[in-house]
Amino acid sequence: MSRANGTPYAPHTDDETAAMLAEIGVDDEEALFDIPEAVSFDGDFGIDARTERGIRDECARIFARNDDLTEFLGRGHYGHYVPSVVDHLADRAEFLTSYTQYQPEVSQGFLQALFEYQSMLVELTGLDVANCSMYDAATALGEAATLADRVRSTSGDTVLVPEQLREGKRAVLENYCDGADLAVETYPMADGTADVDALADRAGDDVAMVYAESPTVRGCIEERLAAIGDLADETDALFVLGSDVVALSVLESPAAVGADVVVGEAGSLGLPTAYGMGLGIFACSDEFLRQVPGRLVGASEDANGDRAYTLTLQTREQHIRKERATSNICTNQAWVALRAAIHAATLGPDGLVDLANDSVREAEALASRIDELSGAAAPVHDRHHFREFAVRVDQPAEAIAADLEGEGFAVHAIDDHLLQVCVTDLNAGETDGLVAAFEEVL
Amino acid sequence: MSFDVPDDRRYLESHEWATTGGDTVRIGVSDFAQDELGDVVFVELPEVGDEIAAGESFGVVESIKAVSDLYAPVSGEVVAVNEDLFDRPELVNEDPYGDGWMLEVEPADGGDAEGLLDADEYDGQIA
Repeated sequence: MSRANGTPYAPHTDDETAAMLAEIGVDDEEALFDIPEAVSFDGDFGIDARTERGIRDECARIFARNDDLTEFLGRGHYGHYVPSVVDHLADRAEFLTSYTQYQPEVSQGFLQALFEYQSMLVELTGLDVANCSMYDAATALGEAATLADRVRSTSGDTVLVPEQLREGKRAVLENYCDGADLAVETYPMADGTADVDALADRAGDDVAMVYAESPTVRGCIEERLAAIGDLADETDALFVLGSDVVALSVLESPAAVGADVVVGEAGSLGLPTAYGMGLGIFACSDEFLRQVPGRLVGASEDANGDRAYTLTLQTREQHIRKERATSNICTNQAWVALRAAIHAATLGPDGLVDLANDSVREAEALASRIDELSGAAAPVHDRHHFREFAVRVDQPAEAIAADLEGEGFAVHAIDDHLLQVCVTDLNAGETDGLVAAFEEVL
Repeated sequence: MSFDVPDDRRYLESHEWATTGGDTVRIGVSDFAQDELGDVVFVELPEVGDEIAAGESFGVVESIKAVSDLYAPVSGEVVAVNEDLFDRPELVNEDPYGDGWMLEVEPADGGDAEGLLDADEYDGQIA
């Protein structure tokens, strides 16, 4: 593009471009590319040039078409209030450099922030090692399955997952397993958590990995994790626990229940729920240090004996180990992990625990209010809940969800007569409205 | 720069060495190889009792910036593994022909290292 084409933003003037082309002996820029006729586009993009203000007005008109609903949606994406200090710090130019934050040359400051993020996860999980993030909980789960395949001496190629699992997670896991020749099988749930007896019946030498979640997709806290851990141990299967970074601050330590790997979401900190963005956590015991996917920041000393940070154990990764790499992921979500770390540090250990306890209390309080309404029962499962719970409605759930939308509230319909409702500090002030809307539509 | 190429053993073009004349064959990598690799940080080796096959990869050596396969000079059963390398992989750099050895193999078919390069031939290759 040149100025003649109407962009003042390109760095080269027409004269400079002509001089460079003359120097290398070609007539025009097209000669530098070899694009087959069949795929080259020779036409008008049909994009009208607008002024900056014109674009802003147009976007505002488009955004105005969005529904203005109060969301009580969870099922994998959770919003908590993000303190403004997160934006102020994470938006500093030192962190928003165009230099990719997963290169070895990444700055010491960013490496330290990522090391802090890893340290927080080590503290929350009780495990020895955490990487500095995966794309989301689903990819972390997929990576855990391929790790199980690499480290387990069993001849097993079955990955056991709960029958109630978020669809997207299941689909991503299937993709990973398909390439690794692993088979995904489900085990039954009983009242919102794992049916441990059924799991025990299914366990065997052909199982490479057992996956359980707490909180489960229905928001239930799994009380028999230690039993699941023992089962996995007995058959030399890897026990992978899926959790959430806020929940981990009050739940039993994964290390204490025998979890070999913890995967899950940290996107509930530092991020809004918009766009479905996640931040995958991956922590495991020392035993698998050389098998961890993704990037690891380590602390060392420089030549002067001062503490220095570095990306470490990179020989696991595909840019060095090629086809024998532990994973085809050599990246991480550095800036998103930074936001989560700043958010967690701002809350501090006590603040994180308070947030988690509120997530239990708010869900319990809202469920009992909905339960009092005629035509609805909540929570469906006789368990402790974290942030979200299922509601049984006498009428078809889809119809109730649609009616609630008409009243300005969004909830998930998850089965013929089941809804799922999620409450966090962001919508806790709107629960009166939701209860009134329920009363209206039931 | 000249590299140490002792003439009491034989070499592979891929820079592994093998001792000759004993009941077992000791295997490691050459001085040239350790220099090319740079600081060795990890060595992945088979276990005692495993079978290795001449010309096939039996393990991996990792340096800070590279990963290389290790190729077997002879076929046979692994009878000893240098476990010191798991804690001190830098021995490969410090003493590639001595303390940095990797495996001892009981050759399958009298399996002497006849088909391998002698010190002069190998020296000529890396010169």
